[in-house]
Amino acid sequence: MDKISDYILKAGTIDRRWIFLIIGLAVLLPLFFPLGLPIRATNATQKVYDAVEALEENSKVLVSFEYGPSTKPEIHPMAIGLLRHLFTNGHKVFVTCLWPDGQFMADEALDEVAKEEFDLTYGEDYVILGFRPGNEAVVKGMVSNIRKLYTTDARGTLVDNIPLMKNINKVADFDFIFSASAGYPGTVEWVQYASDPTGVPLSTGTTSIMVNDIMPMVNSGQVKGILAGMPGAAEYEALIGTPGIGTSGMDAQSIAHLVIVLFIIFGNITYFIETQRSKKY
Amino acid sequence: MIGPWIAAFLTLAIFSYLYKDNPFYKVAEHLFVGISTGYWTSMFFWTQIQPNLFGRLWPASEYSSDSLWYKFYNLLGVFSSVFPGGGIDKGHHMELLYLLPFALGIMMLLSVSSKLSWMARWGIAYTVGMAAGLRAYGFLNSNVLGQIKGSAFQIFNSDLPFFALASESIFNNFIILIGTITGLMYFYFSREHTGNFGKLSKLGIYFLMISFGASFGFAVMGRISLLIGRFVDLITYSGSAHNHATLWLLLAMILLLGYSAFTDKNNTSKDEPTIEK
Amino acid sequence: MIWKRQIPILIATVIGFATLFGWFIDHPGIESFVNDDATQWYDILASFAIFLGALNLMKLQGKKVFKQQSGWQYSLFAIGGFFFAIVAGFIYKGNDAVEWGVHVTSKGTLFKWMFDYMFTPLSATMFALLAFFVASASYRAFRVRNLEATLLLVSGIIIMVGRVPLGSSISSWFIMYLMVLIVSIAVNIKLKDKKITFSTFLGGVLIVTIWGSSLGWPIDQPGLFYLPILQDWIYNNPNVAGARAIMIGIGLGIFATSIRYILGIEKSYIGE
Repeated sequence: MDKISDYILKAGTIDRRWIFLIIGLAVLLPLFFPLGLPIRATNATQKVYDAVEALEENSKVLVSFEYGPSTKPEIHPMAIGLLRHLFTNGHKVFVTCLWPDGQFMADEALDEVAKEEFDLTYGEDYVILGFRPGNEAVVKGMVSNIRKLYTTDARGTLVDNIPLMKNINKVADFDFIFSASAGYPGTVEWVQYASDPTGVPLSTGTTSIMVNDIMPMVNSGQVKGILAGMPGAAEYEALIGTPGIGTSGMDAQSIAHLVIVLFIIFGNITYFIETQRSKKY
Repeated sequence: MIGPWIAAFLTLAIFSYLYKDNPFYKVAEHLFVGISTGYWTSMFFWTQIQPNLFGRLWPASEYSSDSLWYKFYNLLGVFSSVFPGGGIDKGHHMELLYLLPFALGIMMLLSVSSKLSWMARWGIAYTVGMAAGLRAYGFLNSNVLGQIKGSAFQIFNSDLPFFALASESIFNNFIILIGTITGLMYFYFSREHTGNFGKLSKLGIYFLMISFGASFGFAVMGRISLLIGRFVDLITYSGSAHNHATLWLLLAMILLLGYSAFTDKNNTSKDEPTIEK
Repeated sequence: MIWKRQIPILIATVIGFATLFGWFIDHPGIESFVNDDATQWYDILASFAIFLGALNLMKLQGKKVFKQQSGWQYSLFAIGGFFFAIVAGFIYKGNDAVEWGVHVTSKGTLFKWMFDYMFTPLSATMFALLAFFVASASYRAFRVRNLEATLLLVSGIIIMVGRVPLGSSISSWFIMYLMVLIVSIAVNIKLKDKKITFSTFLGGVLIVTIWGSSLGWPIDQPGLFYLPILQDWIYNNPNVAGARAIMIGIGLGIFATSIRYILGIEKSYIGE
């Protein structure tokens, strides 16, 4: 028993680079050898799906891209899933970005879904208004007068010449807002300056780290559901019936989480043995 | 063609920090600093300053070659990308009031010089005042009143069951209410946490710890997701379409870092003083 | 002195009051200025702040190279990277079909190439690096020293496992057997009596086995021990309670601090 305890204690002081290697393999191997574990949607994801399904046909939906390449693996899959859902149900999509990188992400997502998959027409089915700096001031400006803030869209076309922008003057003219957000500015600013003052319903998809900041707003009904990180994206893909990049990462996510839990348990066993020995001697 | 090689190199260079701090990582880190600064500068200039500031000072809709103001604009036309001929056409009318933020902005830039550093205060004061005005309302309305309303509203809903694991229930709403109140009690430091107040604030700590544990779980989830994203890109760049860029670069880095570790080890053992018998 | 102190405080106060009361005043002129022009000025100044940051950075890196301070060679990469981005942003488009201005977001430009093959991998990998350090911290630092730490770790573990597909595949009966084991270990530590420990363990195993057999071993019943349902309950209830308390506390703090800035009591932005 003492020998086993000694080995456990020795393993507890292992060079951290071995831990890095183990976690690297735990993420890499399932990408080559997928397990195909089933995905079960949580209540929060279901609320987002139900909110989108409840929209009347031809609804005008404002989608805001607030993420960049550093958080793309978590949020891009849910943005693509949402766009697929919106276009399948025949809604019109208006895209804004509170982050500069968000515009690149929006271009990429819309090229993949609107252009290649659904063969939709820019300016009639969807429009990218683009990025404006100013954080919450941009949201406030849009609530008051979109046309003063956006005189041209992201492609340089005058907004007055875009057919889809007819009768769109402020945020209250939209039927639904979705914020794909990785931090500040993002969901919180949309709730504080757009959704709460105007009453336009809002849903969101965020990085896993931000979820806890938004959950109280989901619980109070200020936000209609939340897609939480890559697992949330995978759940949404399962609900719309189109597995994508979110789903393909879930096996690696599962194994990595299991490995980290085992690390925590093993680390605490080591701590427990050390404590018992120090009490004994 | 060269793009995927550069992307794979930069990714592996940053991951090489996991072995130890090394020149590959330092080069990538400094490149990141420089490129991201230039990227943000370009983005903010072309999406805000040029269309919304210069576009309001010299709009194409009011261009006149006789006007002194536009004659000055034509002089600036040497930078034709920023100041195209005939004014800037972004759908604005002339608003010379925008000379004020322009002046404040120039004052901000002049503060690079240590003698003129006080000049940035005017622009900073404007942004601080505006942010304070926006946030005072926003946070009070949504974060405080909205949350209190959310906590109070559901308790007295008689349509709900008393207890349910997977859906809303009266018991669950009580848990949220008690947890919120006791958590707020913990943050009330104007009174000592003793007696019944102390016990309730202790209960509040337990709710906060559960919340922090959930945050930890989500933080792990988020980081692993980002790692998956990088590995997916590296796997893509290891394919034949990109001439197995990842594999060649990984091999080169391992050989170079391994050689460096080997020579460092030899130098260390040579430097150690020998003990004379 | 008035230029350096009183005027900035006056600007912050006037703009702060105008923005705050702009939410409540129903006058078209004031509303239009506060909601439209004032926000545009804010955006413009935010952009100039970025330019200031860029200038300061280049000043620092340039100083390092000029004075040949330690690591100055790497500063050359920082300066080189910055100038490459400026060339891509202002000098060389790479795609003549695209106008200046929209070239920063259009395909086929040098700027887009830089974004795809330099900025994206650098930015994404910097964040992804943290996954390894989280794993290392989990192994070496997270210890169950007291009840609070136990609650933190247990809720973290339940969320981590319950939220991913693996959690759906773990039967609630496995969790119940695990709980029987943990309770037996706790009883052993507390009472140090082998007979009581064995009885607790055997009793627990028998109860779970009989119960499971009678229900036919459904994977998701009882719901309290099925990880996805348990994590959903923790996520939606006690977790929300704690997060809400923090949110209300932060909200009140930010409101108080904002009022202090508007009234000119807080002057940290001018260095006081």
